[in-house]
Amino acid sequence: MTNTYIESFPAEAKVVRAAFYSSFLALAIGGLFGIIQTLHRTGYYRFIDSADYYTVLTAHGVFLVITFTIFFLVAIFTWAITTSLDRPVEDIRFTWFWYGLMVLGTILAAVPILAGFTDSEMSASVLFTFYAPLQGHPLFYVGLVLFVVGTWLAGADWFRSWLAWKQENPDERIPLPTFMVLTTMLMWYIATLGVAAAILLFLLPWSLGIIESVNPLLTRTLFWFFGHPIVYFWLMPAYMMWYIMLPKISGGKLFSDPLARVVFVLFLILSVPTGIHHQYLDPGIAEGFKFIAMTNTMFLLLPSLLTAFTVVASMEHGARQRGGSGYLGWLKALPWRDPVFAGMALAGLMFAAAGFSGMINAGMNINYLVHNTFWVVGHFHLTVGTGVALTFMAVTYWFLPQVTGKALWNRSVALGQVVLWFVGMTFMSNAMHRAGLLGIPRRTAEPQYEGFEFEAAVGSVGELDAQIALGGLLLTLSLVLFFANIIGTVLNNRSDDLPANGYADTLSGPSDAPLVLDNLKLWTAIAIVLVIFAYTFPLLSIIERGGLFGPELNELPVSIGLGLEYLWTTVVTTVTSGVDTAIAIITGVR
Amino acid sequence: MRISKGALLIVIAFTAPLIVELRTVLAWVNVELTVLESVVLSIGLIVLILVWALWPQEGTPQATE
Ligand code: HEM
Ligand SMILES: [Cu+2]
Repeated sequence: MTNTYIESFPAEAKVVRAAFYSSFLALAIGGLFGIIQTLHRTGYYRFIDSADYYTVLTAHGVFLVITFTIFFLVAIFTWAITTSLDRPVEDIRFTWFWYGLMVLGTILAAVPILAGFTDSEMSASVLFTFYAPLQGHPLFYVGLVLFVVGTWLAGADWFRSWLAWKQENPDERIPLPTFMVLTTMLMWYIATLGVAAAILLFLLPWSLGIIESVNPLLTRTLFWFFGHPIVYFWLMPAYMMWYIMLPKISGGKLFSDPLARVVFVLFLILSVPTGIHHQYLDPGIAEGFKFIAMTNTMFLLLPSLLTAFTVVASMEHGARQRGGSGYLGWLKALPWRDPVFAGMALAGLMFAAAGFSGMINAGMNINYLVHNTFWVVGHFHLTVGTGVALTFMAVTYWFLPQVTGKALWNRSVALGQVVLWFVGMTFMSNAMHRAGLLGIPRRTAEPQYEGFEFEAAVGSVGELDAQIALGGLLLTLSLVLFFANIIGTVLNNRSDDLPANGYADTLSGPSDAPLVLDNLKLWTAIAIVLVIFAYTFPLLSIIERGGLFGPELNELPVSIGLGLEYLWTTVVTTVTSGVDTAIAIITGVR
Repeated sequence: MRISKGALLIVIAFTAPLIVELRTVLAWVNVELTVLESVVLSIGLIVLILVWALWPQEGTPQATE
């Protein structure tokens, strides 16, 4: 008999499983749109109308960075809470309730997005950065709100478990995984205030026609208030896996529990007051505010550098436990054959590369060079598209057996899958970065223009396109292998010899961590103060200039009819004034 | 085998970034490769790694994993 998660927590395992399946479905749909747009914009194969490109891009972005990632993380957070507190959730009906709300929200938001492909009036091709002036169908915003409320309730569920546990264990330190979940959720609560305000006060009433117009800079700023920290909402679960699973799978222990807590506290306090770094090129925000955001961003590098150190140290410890030796010789002793390990290690490595392009994005002046180019797309396919997504796929190979009780269908296919993702992303993302340096824009169906050529210093633009398309194909193939493995595993019979549920021990344990680290109220208060510092003045000055509901603005998409009308008026006025001039000249001559 | 099959696969994967950026690095020292030349060079590199990894080591038993 083994001691898998499904045996210890059968009721929770069902919710976790459902959340995993929702997440994988989103990954499948999002991935499909990914290859469609890759082939379209590189010009290799075009079967959609270029006018539909934003619809494809919206579906790709929303399904992957909102649906796939967040469903996955609520699954592993539920696992982390129940496993580390060693108690079931307080009320499983509540757990199903928030999961159901998230599903409902997803469906409501997906309908208008996908309706963009049909002839219906309904659409929400507003990209995953859904600020004004792009306007979506109200259903899209309602869906988003329900989805976010679902995550809030999920957080409440986990806080409730922790409080109940604390009553029974008043003198114990918060177990590390629970600590990570709680700090992540606190960060999320603060961050989502920005979108909640943007949607409920402005975008939704505007799309319902209750208010005439909005202040676009205000909705952008509120969006990025949330849009930057959401990045950490994806990343912190991946970090959690690197801290509590990777050392165990490499055969060792986590190097330092206190350091891990410091990292999560730093994320909590520094994630939110940085969003303006996405707005370096927005007119209407003073340089000084941008400079403050840049400084905060540079500080935010610290927890990632600490993570790199701790995680590599833990892996080395594991390798030496397994008999590895030498300066670099220990690397050979790591379990490279294990897809869970290899996938996470490769994801971490690519994430390091992303850290470098991230520093470039963060620098106020260099950002001007790469802003809104394909470089940015290259950057976040390394962060969320690999650091997070590949970690999630790799740990699935451990989690799926835990929550289904079935052995993984094929470990070699799994290993091939994670390696293929690494290679595919190397090609795609590297070429995207390069293309961005040449000034090739992102979010464009047809980046080539008549009478203008982008020029590469080494090689050619055609070669970059070829690398992007090749990379995209390898990634798609990797996804196919991933789903084959999921389906194969689900169809397997129950197995009796699965590893036991659990996570890594620590070399330096929680008792070494200063008590103040567990003082969540203090850290939340500091986080809020920093947010107030970073945002009050920029928001006030934006409202002062443009007003709450903004200067007059035409929403997009504006209908073709309007365009034609405009064209018609232009033609008519030009013609009449032309005739007038002609008459004047003729009469003058006379 | 000098390294396990799993590790060999990873080493080959790690050559991918080298391969895609090799041309740039060489361009700095004024060696300009065509696509074909760099593909050939890359295949050569991978073959070298394979030979190194698969060459039987004297006195050590075959790695099984
Ligand atoms: C099969 C794998 C994938 C392929 C081929 C792919 C391809 C692409 C391409 C070519 C673009 C740029 C489109 C443009 O700017 O014109 C893009 C955008 C994007 N991708 Fe992916 N991608 C893949 C996987 C992922 C994953 C796993 C994630 C995240 C988890 C992701 C997140 C995004 C986001 C957020 C955008 C930006 C959307 C926007 O600009 O609104 N992609 N993808
Ligand atoms: Cu950011």
